[in-house]
Order: sequence, then C-alpha cells, then structure tokens
Amino acid sequence: MPPTNASNTHNMASTSSNLTQDKQLQDAKVSIKTDALLMKKSLDKIELLDGIKHASDMLNKLSSIAKMNNVDVPMQLSPKNYYEIYMNVTDELRHLETFMIDEFQKGFKFDDLYELVQYSPAIIPRLYLLITVGTVYIKIQEYSRKIILKDLVEMCRGVQHPLRGLFLRNYLLQCTKNLLPDCVVSDNEEDGDINDSIEFILLNFSEMNKLWVRMQHQGHTRMKEKREQERKELRLLVGTNLVRLSQLESINVDLYSSTVLPRLLEQVVNCNDEIAQEYLMECIIQVFPDEFHVKTLEMYLKACTNLHEDVNIRNVITSLVDRFIKTTVKLDTDETATEQQATIFDIFSRQISEIISSRPNMAVHDIVALHTTVLNLAIKCYPDRIDYVDKVLEITDTIFNNMNLDHIQSNSQVSKELIKMLKIPIDLYKDILKLLRIKYYTILYEHLDYVGRKTMCQYLLNNALENETKIESPDDADGLLQLINPLIVDSSDKPADYEQDAEDFIEEQTLVARLIHLMQSPNLDEQFLIINLARKHFGAFGKDRIRYTLPPLVFRAYELAYNYKQTSEQDEKWDKKCDKIFKFCFQTINALIKAELPAELAFRLFLNGSQVLCEIAYENCENILYEFISQAIALYDEDIATNKFNSISLIIGTCQKILHIFGEENCDSLRQNCVNRAAKLLKKPDQCRAVALCTNLFWNCKPRHSDGVSLRDAQKVNECLKKCVKIAAQCVDTSAQFELHVEILNYYIHYFEMQNENITIDMLNELIAKIKQDSTGLDKSQNECQMILEQFDRSLNYMRKKSIVFDGILF
Amino acid sequence: MSTQPATTARISIRPQTLREAYDPPANVLEVDVINPETHGVANKRFTDYEVRLRTNLPVFKTKESSVRRRFSDFEWLRNELEKGSKIVVPLLPSKAWKRQLPFRSDDGIFEDEFIEERRKGLEQFINKVACHPLAQNEKCLHMFLLESTIDRNYTPGKVRNT
Repeated sequence: MPPTNASNTHNMASTSSNLTQDKQLQDAKVSIKTDALLMKKSLDKIELLDGIKHASDMLNKLSSIAKMNNVDVPMQLSPKNYYEIYMNVTDELRHLETFMIDEFQKGFKFDDLYELVQYSPAIIPRLYLLITVGTVYIKIQEYSRKIILKDLVEMCRGVQHPLRGLFLRNYLLQCTKNLLPDCVVSDNEEDGDINDSIEFILLNFSEMNKLWVRMQHQGHTRMKEKREQERKELRLLVGTNLVRLSQLESINVDLYSSTVLPRLLEQVVNCNDEIAQEYLMECIIQVFPDEFHVKTLEMYLKACTNLHEDVNIRNVITSLVDRFIKTTVKLDTDETATEQQATIFDIFSRQISEIISSRPNMAVHDIVALHTTVLNLAIKCYPDRIDYVDKVLEITDTIFNNMNLDHIQSNSQVSKELIKMLKIPIDLYKDILKLLRIKYYTILYEHLDYVGRKTMCQYLLNNALENETKIESPDDADGLLQLINPLIVDSSDKPADYEQDAEDFIEEQTLVARLIHLMQSPNLDEQFLIINLARKHFGAFGKDRIRYTLPPLVFRAYELAYNYKQTSEQDEKWDKKCDKIFKFCFQTINALIKAELPAELAFRLFLNGSQVLCEIAYENCENILYEFISQAIALYDEDIATNKFNSISLIIGTCQKILHIFGEENCDSLRQNCVNRAAKLLKKPDQCRAVALCTNLFWNCKPRHSDGVSLRDAQKVNECLKKCVKIAAQCVDTSAQFELHVEILNYYIHYFEMQNENITIDMLNELIAKIKQDSTGLDKSQNECQMILEQFDRSLNYMRKKSIVFDGILF
Repeated sequence: MSTQPATTARISIRPQTLREAYDPPANVLEVDVINPETHGVANKRFTDYEVRLRTNLPVFKTKESSVRRRFSDFEWLRNELEKGSKIVVPLLPSKAWKRQLPFRSDDGIFEDEFIEERRKGLEQFINKVACHPLAQNEKCLHMFLLESTIDRNYTPGKVRNT
C-alpha cells in the first residue's frame, strides 16, 4: 500500500474501467433488488440465517465495491449516488428488522444473534447488521439498552472512510431515533438515562464531524472546490446529531449549559475547518430553544472568537441576533436591571469587540456590519435605551479613528456598510429627531464623504416626510439643519470634479424645501425663531439653492403672520411682531434679487406679500406695504422684459386690493404709476386693455382705511375709458380695433350700470354705432370674428333685458 | 429482564485526542505533470512537461518543487529504478513509434491530443512511483523530482532523510 491518501493514485485501475457513474449506480440498484428478493424469500421460509446472508450481500453495495469478472473493483460514487444506494438498501433492511421483531414476539429467542452477525466478513455489512439487530434488541426490551447503545456507537469507529462512515452513523441515528433514554433518573439502571443519550449523541457527533472534516484531505488539491461542494451536500448528516439532541426533552438549560453546549463547541472550535464551523454554529442557533441561547450567550460568543478566520462570522452573529430579536423569551431577568449585572446587550457588545480583535485581518466593512447587527439588537430589544445605541456608535467611531478613516469614499464597501448602519435608527425609530439625541450619530456620520453624507441626508429627509415628523423646537430645527448641511452649503470636501444631474439637484433641494413645511412650533414666537434660524442656515449659499429654499420660508413667514393676527387678542405686541416678520420677508425676497435669480420669482413674492399684508392690515403697515408694492413695480420696470402685459395686470390687480390701506399721497402715486405704465406698453391693444383695467383702481375699491374717504372717482374712470377709445382708434388692424371696441363697450356698460354719473347713454350709443360700422368691413367668415360678433350680440342682449336701466339705447 | 447481550465485552480503546481527530494527514503526496511545451525545430524538436511535487513526507528535502522533464527523462528514471531496486516498476505510456514515422499528414507526436494523452500517462506513472515507499528512498527519484537538471553520471544510492 502506498503511504498516501491521494485516492486518485490507488484508484487508477477503476478509471481505466469503462464503468461510468450512472452505469455503476444502475447495476448496484439491480443487484440490491435481487439480493433483497432473495432475503425476503428466505425470511418467508423463516430461514433467518440465510436472510441475513442475503442482507449482508446487499449491504456490500455500500462498501462501494463492484465485482467485475470476479475481481473487486472500487466504485467511484459521488455522495449523491451513494445516498441513493443507501436509501435503497436501508429501505430493504427494514423488512429484516420487522421480521425479527415479529419472531421475537412469537416467542423465538435469538440470544446469539448479536454475536452471529459479527461473523460477517466485510465490515460495512457487519456494522449495518449489528445496528439492525441492536435496535431490535432495544425494541423488545430484552437486553440492556444502555450497553447496546454504547456498544453500537463505539463499534461504528470501525469505518473510517469518510463517506461510508458518515452514512453508517447516520443509519445509527436513524434507527435509534425514538429509542434513546429521555429521563433524568431511570427506574432501571440498565435502561440508561439522559446522560447516556447525551454521551451517545456527542460521541457520534464528534466522530461524524471528524469524518466530515477529513473529507477535505481526500483526493487531489485541484479537486478542492468539488470536494467542498460535496461536503456541503453532506452537512445535514452531521447536523442531524444536533437535531436529535434538541429533541431530548430532558435536556434543560442547566444540562445544556454545563454539558451539551461546551462539548459541542469543543468539537466545533477544534476542528478548525471553516465549512464545518460556519454550518454547525448556525445549526446550534437554529435547533436549540431561545431560552438556552439567552443563558449561554457568553459561552457561545466566546467560542466565536476562536473560529477559523475564514468563517463568515457576520452570518453567524446575524442569525444569532435575529433569533434574539424575534424571541418572546425575556432577555434579561429583573435582577440584571437592578443589580448591575451584564445585560444581553452588554455581553454582545463586549464579545463582538473580542471577536473583532481576534481577527486582525478582518475587513473594515465586516467590522461595521458586525456592529450593525448589535445596533439592530439594541434598538429592537431595548427601544428605550438610547445609551446603548450611543455605545455601539461610539465603538464604531473609535474604530474609524484608530484607522484614521475619514471621508470614506462612497461606493466603497465600508461606506455602504456604514450607510446601512446609519439607516437603521432612521428606519426603526421613524423619528429623525431621536437621532439628534444620539451623541455619536452625527460624529459617526461625519466619517462619510460628501456624496455619502448627501445620500444619508436624502434618506433622512424622505423618512421625515413619510412619517410627517413635526419639528417643534428651534433646537431640533437647528440640529437637523446642521445634519443636512451637505444639502445646504458647499462642504469643503466637495470633490472638485463633482457634477450632479440637474434633475437630481432639484429633487434634492425640493426635499429641503419640503422639510421647511415640517417645522412647526405650537409657540408662535418660537416658530419665528425657527424661520430665522433656517434663513441663517440657508444664508446666501449659492443662488441655485436659495431659489428653492427661500420661497417656502417666505410663505411660512406669511403663514405665521396670519397666525399672529388670529391670536391678536391675547398678544398685545402682535402688530410689532408682524412688522418684524414682513421686514424679514422683505429682506429675504431682496436676497433673491441680489442673487440675480429670474426677477419673476421675487416679483410675484412681493405681490403676494402685499396681499397678505393688506389682509392682516396691522397698524402702521402702510410703509412696508408701500415698500413691497413699489419693489414689485421697480422689478417690473427694470428686470421684467417679457410678458409685460401680464405683469402689469398683476400689479393693477394687486393695487386694486390694497389701495384702501394707503393715505392719499401714496394712493394717488400708486394709481398714477399704474396708469402711466399701462399707457406705455409697447403694443396698442395691450395699452388699451391695460388702461381699461386701470379704471378699476378708480372705482371698485373700499373706502380709504385712514380717513374713510371713498376711492370712487367717476371723472377719472371716464378719462381712462376715453383714452382707451382713443388708443383703439389708433389701431391699424380693423379686426383688432373691432375687438377692442367691443371690450370697451363692456366696460361702459359695467360703469353705466354701476351708476357712474359721467357715463351717459349717448356715449354708449356712439360706441355701439362705431362697432356696427366697424363690423360692416369685416371678413365674417373668420372664426375669431364670429366670436367677437357673438360677444357683441350678447352685450346687446344684456342691455335689452335690462331695458329699464338701459333706456334709450339704439339697438 | 434486561441483560447484557452476548459478546459485547470489548477491548477498551484509547480515546482519540482532538489533534489526532482533526489534524491534516501527515502523508500528503501529489505530483502533477502539467504545462507541456514543445521546443526546437525539425529533428531537434521535443516536448517537455512541468513536474510539480507537493508533499509533507519528511523523506523529501522540500515540501514543494517544480522541474521540467521530457519523455526521455521519465525513461531514464524507470531504467534506474529497475536497475537499482526490487520494485516492479509500472509501465510508461507507449513511445508511439508509428507517430514518429516520416511523411505524416499531421504533426505526429506533437499533436495536442497526443501530448495530452501522454501527459496523463506520465502523471499516473510518476504518482505510482513516487507513492511507493521503497522508491521514495532511491536517489534517482529525488533527483528526478527535485533537481533542476538530471546528472546521468550520478552514483546510485539510497536517501535517508528522516
């Protein structure tokens, strides 16, 4: 025999034979069937010894030896095929077992059977038969269960070939499934007790584990991967031992922690094989009950520090933590809370650090991931203990500091794990304000690079918006704005070549804008503080940003002013506070102008502000209101180039609403300014329409606020309308002229009906005659023309219906 | 009542230590014959192979080695072993005389398929030889596996490296 275990060297003969795996398997199956048939025939004739002989022949297939031309040839069976043969054989073997039990019950005695089967020349059949007979002996309760079990598990040592040994011992486990003693104290010493069962399984387990680990060394190095795959396929066989242990009801926490677990861990740790360790550690977690784990956590985690470096410890710890998170068992006794004993969290926290220091080559992202699992445990199992969360984060921070890890590059694995970690408190608390109470949260977050921090900011804001987290205190608002700093200012570590998609940027800034709407203090003064604070944070950092962030702030300020007005009866200083608010708004809107953003934005904000101001109408608001409206007009003059007509319409509309706030001087100035600008529009139709709109400034207003003087000025209305007619007459395009005349007619009708004494029936008749004359020269086939004609008809009809008012109209 | 079944009295055995159970085996030996390369032109053309040894047997000076050998080197080794020891030395793969005849349409013994077939044969041969406990003491085997060049004028003898 060559002194090598390299199986390929002494199996050379078989590779040259043409037997393929499948052929071997099929042949073996056929031959098993034949042997089984012969065995059953013998048993039918009550010829037990013959039956056993045929059973032995059948079992020989499990020695994986084939007979070729009367020469023994080893078969090359994969674990999968070997399993199939094993299933076939053990299935047939059950007939033998049933037969023997039947015969015993009929009164036959086979005292020497246990000895007899041991004369079988080949070891594999011999041991399978020994197990079968042994099980029968136990079932009929004639012989000492304790001794038989011990004998069987010892005798199985005879097979040291990994694959065959594993299946043989699996057969042993299968046969003894419900036969193991499961009582703490036995009435009959020969029957054995729980300790015998534990010894039985533990011995079987360590032998199987040994065989399983040894498979690794069988065969050529270049086949290692295939072998690892095969080993993984066989792991369940080893794991069955643990399942059997967990099924023994007499094993209590004490027995588990004093005997079972230490001895399991001894084997697992010492085998020093990553595949075995990873599987078995996981298996221990899965098969034993939660309360066992709670009691033995420290022991288990200590064993983890001694595992092979290639074991993916992350998976092991994660399953353990998951077990603890889901458990209904109380994690810590009441004494732990009072007597300063270590809690489950403390044990985890300490041991995880031990595990990490036991693996000097552990990747940083794996370290972070391990702490992430502990963090998960801390938040889920101890929802009130923010200090636990802080502790985990502090440890992680220390690790980064020791490694000098800063500005961790996004997309690196460390960054991904850290972001995953930082997201956990956000996800679980569903309250981002809680993050501000965790001291090390921000500190740890600062280790991310610019892009990583931005990712976190967006996640955080989305969470706040989803959960509608209310930010009520200025301190919280301040903390939060500091946290999302990367979205607000250009950080110093922003990469020079950083480029962002415009849409992404807008989305990001929109998030910030939406955050402003979550800031709402029940105390109005504090709300003003919050708004001011936010304004300071947004500062003047980039016109691209304030374009999105300042307008919502202005609207929040308007809203606050309304709220002050509502509480004006309780707050004497409300008008002074409102004044402050509007001054704040004025400056904020001006900041938008200084940033040279499109003037339209500031223009509309001023107009909007003017309306809000006049609705609130606190004392002495005239000056600031004048500032608002005059700024809007100034913007109209200097910065608004397109769509002038629309803009002047907005100004006129706003002025109409707010005029009553002003004293005579400001009021006249505003009206005049509007009329002048209306008359200076570029196009004649625009001029005409805008001037017509101005008539509203002289008519439809409330009486003046300060002295109650009516703002109706019939004379001025008339002048404006006359001007309109004049401008219309200057239009060259006849259809445009026609249209304008119809519109002016409507104004005349309106003011006549409103009893403006300067408008007379004659004026109406004159205009109607002009329109009729216009219409004769028109191309009536055009759609537009038709519409105007219809409008004219409707106006006439209107007057016809109110013929009492419009007495004297010449239709 | 419960009694002991016949013949369960066993000789007690010494329990295995954890090291004994789990340590890797102390008798690993693998020889790979790989990376065939064909050199030279016309009559001088020949193919050689990398012979790579990996072992933890103490009889070998080094745990790992890699040398290049051609078919004639294997033939030399086989002859030396037959001369110097009482081992039945396994056969080498065929010399393939037919393939070496002139005027062939193909590349003869330099065809890829043939080289691969020969490589397998050589690998089987050297593994059988190297695993043999008596052959492991022969100086010629050590020279073949470990020395970069073979000294054909060496003095045959035994190696004692234990």
